[in-house]
Amino acid sequence: MECGGLAPLWPSMKTSSQKEYQSGARPPHSKEVLTPIVRYLALVAALLFALAPVYWMLTISFKTEGEHFANPPLWFAFTPTLEHYYDAFITRAFGQYLLTSAIVAVTSTALALVIGTLAAYALARFELPFKLNRRLSLWILSTRMFPAIVTAVPLFLMMRDVQLLNTRAALIIVYTAFNLPFVVWMMRGFFADLPRDLEEAALVDGDSRLGALVRVVLPLVTPGLAATAVFCLIVSWNEFLFALVLTQTDAAMTLPVGIAGRVTQYEIKWGVMSAAASVAIVPILVFALALQKYLVRGLSMGAVKG
Amino acid sequence: MGIEFRNVTKTFGGAHVVDDLSLEVRDGELIVLLGPSGCGKTTTLRMLAGLESVTSGDIFIDGERINDVPTQHRDLAMVFQSYALYPHMTIAENIGYPLRVRKLDKAERATRVQRVAEMLEIESLLERKPRQLSGGERQRVALARAIVREPRAYLMDEPLSNLDARLRVQMRGELKRLQHQLGTTTIYVTHDQAEAMTLASRVAVMKKGRLQQFDTPLNIYNAPANRFVAEFVGSPSMNFIPSERGTMGIRPEHIQVLTTPQDGALEARVYVTELMGNETFVFLTVGDNRMIARAPAEFRAEVETKVWLKLATEKIHWFDPATGNRLQDLQD
Repeated sequence: MECGGLAPLWPSMKTSSQKEYQSGARPPHSKEVLTPIVRYLALVAALLFALAPVYWMLTISFKTEGEHFANPPLWFAFTPTLEHYYDAFITRAFGQYLLTSAIVAVTSTALALVIGTLAAYALARFELPFKLNRRLSLWILSTRMFPAIVTAVPLFLMMRDVQLLNTRAALIIVYTAFNLPFVVWMMRGFFADLPRDLEEAALVDGDSRLGALVRVVLPLVTPGLAATAVFCLIVSWNEFLFALVLTQTDAAMTLPVGIAGRVTQYEIKWGVMSAAASVAIVPILVFALALQKYLVRGLSMGAVKG
Repeated sequence: MGIEFRNVTKTFGGAHVVDDLSLEVRDGELIVLLGPSGCGKTTTLRMLAGLESVTSGDIFIDGERINDVPTQHRDLAMVFQSYALYPHMTIAENIGYPLRVRKLDKAERATRVQRVAEMLEIESLLERKPRQLSGGERQRVALARAIVREPRAYLMDEPLSNLDARLRVQMRGELKRLQHQLGTTTIYVTHDQAEAMTLASRVAVMKKGRLQQFDTPLNIYNAPANRFVAEFVGSPSMNFIPSERGTMGIRPEHIQVLTTPQDGALEARVYVTELMGNETFVFLTVGDNRMIARAPAEFRAEVETKVWLKLATEKIHWFDPATGNRLQDLQD
């Protein structure tokens, strides 16, 4: 199975520089020593560039307010404090936002995966009349072709009419809908790559279509399922626009909206915002690390000849 | 269980892949569907399995029309050409899958898997995954998965074609023995005429979706219904010589090659000889025609030497030059 589509999300650690490094059994030529060094320097520079804001955010979350604006900036030497974390999660409602974010992200991801996977399977395997397989797939994709903000006002009005404003349900529905096209297209590709023989064997063995899907097909596309899940979760977790438009109360607000809310007319609570944002990173990081083995592992199709 | 195809037709985008096929399989028979690739034999098998819809006509199992019965309710077992083992399951789980689907309890499942594994001598592989197995072992597992329950019939789609020649001959024998033991109706698809001849109780020869002949291997060999069947069955192929009475056909094994002239023998020249070890194929030119004869292994002849052919006249077949059909009244 090809997981090539995931490469941009999950750069594998086996880069060409590593291969070259391993091939250095002979006495190294000066050029062969230099090339990896240059590469590693470039890597370090890229890492610094990417991680510096994260580091800065982390330090701010542990600094006192006075130290935030010290000039020259305090990169390493400061007295760590937990006051902002206390402020955010005990005094203010950030714990509540975190919970809402988690519920909304997990539920919408699960829903999108279930609905999207079933749709993708049908589109990949059943032959529909009037070339509907292709047409439906393209139509589903087209729902992602306009900017999200175009749907913000209609969605607000619709949610108001069904009295779902300021509810988690509203966000779950919108995120599920938003993630569906992605799930359908990703999973359709994974299903199409699987040999039909396996499902046919399951059917002949007496299993139902759904049974074959659950017992035979899905275990074989676990890496794809995992990658899709990570993507959906990140999108839902970080989503800001719809959450801002559809929720205004502490009870229904997600973390991104809650954090942005600390930018007020009179002050910007850098410490609280950084503390909340630092915590917000953790779940996604843990989830992605937990699923990494599925993402990296290519599944061998040992049963079918080859 | 008896199986019947009645006027079954399958079209793909206007092309007749299977054309008006009628075939009756008796209980316990091993029927081989034989033909070149694209002759519709696999499609026929897949229609019986329910993996392909029937365009027109009816299929019966035990008198029950099954056209609209979904695959999983047809109670058949199939061995795929690719084996189609479930890669994420162990061999034991693979073999036990049909039982698991039928909700047999674990202990019963384990006993039956063990019994089948012993029968096919794969007990030592039960904990492995399919990718750790050789082609021959995978083939046995696929077979084990089919026979672990008692289906109404076994369907086999070129089950031996991915094995090397030696293993194929060995498995062929084992398959025959197994079918004899189990006595279950079996439909077997192959393009290999040797497999068909050795395994089948009856062979159905197909060409371009149409049934050419349906008979015992011996009758197919001795009295081919048309030129296509005559040519397809037997190796090397039957020789055909045009004559004013019709097209004469004679198999290479019914031609005796003599190095000295004899009464009534046909004069020919050696084109080339091929020593096969146990016999020699002699390629000949007779007038404008090419022929092949099978001679004993000791037979030696230089290229372009003159030889004389003695045809076993009672083994000569006659075919209509236009239609290719067997000319019954000209035989003997």
